[in-house]
Amino acid sequence: MSVDRSVARQGVIDALPLFVPAIPFGLVLGLAITESGIGNLIGWSGSSLIFGGAAQLTVVSLLGGGAAVAAAVSAALVVNSRHLMYSAALAPTFQRQPTWFRWIGPYFLIDQLFALTTVRLGDEPEEFRTYYLAAGFTFWTLWQMTTALGLLIGPVVPEEWNLGFAVPILFIGLLVLGIDRWPKVVAALVGAGTAYLAADLPNKAGLLVGALVGIVAGTVAERVRDG
Amino acid sequence: MGEFLAIVVVGMGTYSSRALFIVALARRRIPEPLLIALQFVAPSVLAALIVSLLTDGQGNVAIGVPEVSAFVLGGAVAVKTKNHILTLVVGMGVYWLVRALV
Repeated sequence: MSVDRSVARQGVIDALPLFVPAIPFGLVLGLAITESGIGNLIGWSGSSLIFGGAAQLTVVSLLGGGAAVAAAVSAALVVNSRHLMYSAALAPTFQRQPTWFRWIGPYFLIDQLFALTTVRLGDEPEEFRTYYLAAGFTFWTLWQMTTALGLLIGPVVPEEWNLGFAVPILFIGLLVLGIDRWPKVVAALVGAGTAYLAADLPNKAGLLVGALVGIVAGTVAERVRDG
Repeated sequence: MGEFLAIVVVGMGTYSSRALFIVALARRRIPEPLLIALQFVAPSVLAALIVSLLTDGQGNVAIGVPEVSAFVLGGAVAVKTKNHILTLVVGMGVYWLVRALV
């Protein structure tokens, strides 16, 4: 029991610094919800129903920007398809876990939790489970609180500050931090360029077209790089 | 109601993408081409998303000197510091400053 408790405490402690970068994200998300006009409660429900900031921000801002429901949903799902990689990477570790945890665990699998657990894959199954749940639940609780705080701040901020522009700024930050080789630069530039050229397609479909063409371009560039 | 449904569907889709291999396909390997393509999802989607967010209902992309300056300097700060808070502060600061000047 005492081992469990110290592992759980470690999970909470490790989660805290990793949550810090998510604070502006959560606040901006709360703001975006208040500006989108879809209703605070509906927008905030995504914090628990989706539990993934980028997808939630995507669906909220696209709905607020007048996109069709289908377009907003498919864009958000494409944004979160990277979780397939995490799922595949953790699958062997989860095979040693009880069924209930194999079903519940993936719900918490955000970028930060994945990063934390990659160094604990060799832990005893029970220890891994305790650590994973403690860190995951810490992220979850803080995320609910931060996005709720953003909802409260939203109406107070003057319209002319145009704080909604913080959303693309955050995405620029995420974009450049994820770039570790030039094929990814190709993917980003082609994705943006195509979305620009396809901007007048209805329902913001240019976003999906741009994303798909960008993915293809990046894959081709990778082939060229590897010769 | 449509909006709530959208969030529910995105929630289910997000859970599915996280659970697929852990729950269902634990012994399957992801085909190599798919694995490579998945690495380019984030950069291309984020870049297309930024353009899309700056597009108004009529399909006009509203990007001017303030936006570009904020992206360039905010992006530079992100590369240098890897700090989201600093990126946000500098990006918004530059945006407001340039908007006031031009």
